[in-house]
Amino acid sequence: MDNDYFSIDAILAENQKIQCTFKVDVPEVGHLGGGNDRDIKAPAKLPIPIWLAYIILLSEWADLTIPAPFGPRVRNALKAEPRSVRLSTLVGAGGLWYGFGKMIMDILDDEQANIMSDVLTKAFRGRLTEVIDQAQHFATLGASGVAGPAVDAAQSFREGLDGTERELFALAQESSKRTKRWYESHDRARQGTRR
Amino acid sequence: MALPPPLRTSVTPQELELIASEQLVEILPLITMEKTAFISGAYGPLRPPAKCRIPLWMAVNLKVKKKCHIIPPDWLNVEFLQERLSRETSYPEFSQMPFRFAEIAKAILDVAPDDIQNADKVRSLLKDLREARQAKSREGLAKLDHSELSLPNSCSMEINELRPFFIHAMGVLTQLSREGEDRAAAQP
Repeated sequence: MDNDYFSIDAILAENQKIQCTFKVDVPEVGHLGGGNDRDIKAPAKLPIPIWLAYIILLSEWADLTIPAPFGPRVRNALKAEPRSVRLSTLVGAGGLWYGFGKMIMDILDDEQANIMSDVLTKAFRGRLTEVIDQAQHFATLGASGVAGPAVDAAQSFREGLDGTERELFALAQESSKRTKRWYESHDRARQGTRR
Repeated sequence: MALPPPLRTSVTPQELELIASEQLVEILPLITMEKTAFISGAYGPLRPPAKCRIPLWMAVNLKVKKKCHIIPPDWLNVEFLQERLSRETSYPEFSQMPFRFAEIAKAILDVAPDDIQNADKVRSLLKDLREARQAKSREGLAKLDHSELSLPNSCSMEINELRPFFIHAMGVLTQLSREGEDRAAAQP
């Protein structure tokens, strides 16, 4: 999530393209857009990988369009009910929606970045409780798993977790499993004789 | 990092139990023993029928060998727990319990259920208490912030259960929120 050079998460989150609108003609780099044109002409819209976009945006060759995973449609859906948005489908399997958002946020100017930060933070907090609830629920279940139609909404929520939330889910599940195991263990007699 | 992954996130409940075993409990010895020096201090002498305060680990050890009766701490009985449970369910904040009550209660209940009056009832009260408190820490979660989380009176076992994931969640929130201080300064 941080922009550290060595952070694997940051590299994975960078695996996205963003739409840029070119303001100037750039000669000899038409292949960037995947087309056959030799040059990029002024109002061209091209999806550019993030690592390349930084320098293009900084040199003011192009304007950034906020990518669809953070567009108004998703924002409204998040505002309505953060838990019903499937973040993973927005950024592809194993995608890091928050990481990607953080990167976009760093590119944007202050005012927009603050709005973006609000959207991300609210979404995260809105979904957090549900993540933990489900993680704890799954920690109490055996390997048998769950069945029944009542779990549909929960399952769709789980499938929609983004990479960061998955990590949290695993952490919460592991620790509550461990605590539960301790509460239920009865190896006292053995310990006592060993000491 | 040489530690296996499950040990990296947090202390294990077993380790917490070990730490809690250093606390003193009262016992009624059934054997005689001179004052003995241990690394953590000198305990004893044991002279039945005089009561004696020794560390929990030693009490557990003696109890397993049937050489003492453990006198449960004053909070480990039905009346006290009942009262705390009703307080727990009627007020929004955590009620005050000894910091390591979960570990101590489990250790004593495991080896010395015969020294506690109505051990089964105590067990079920502890379980209810734990569930009531769990619900509260879950509510506390909704108030999670990138810089702090305040859950007064939560106990070591509860903190330990929440720790790995609270840390991570707060880390994420720190990344997502933009320099909290400047914004707070700019807003009012």
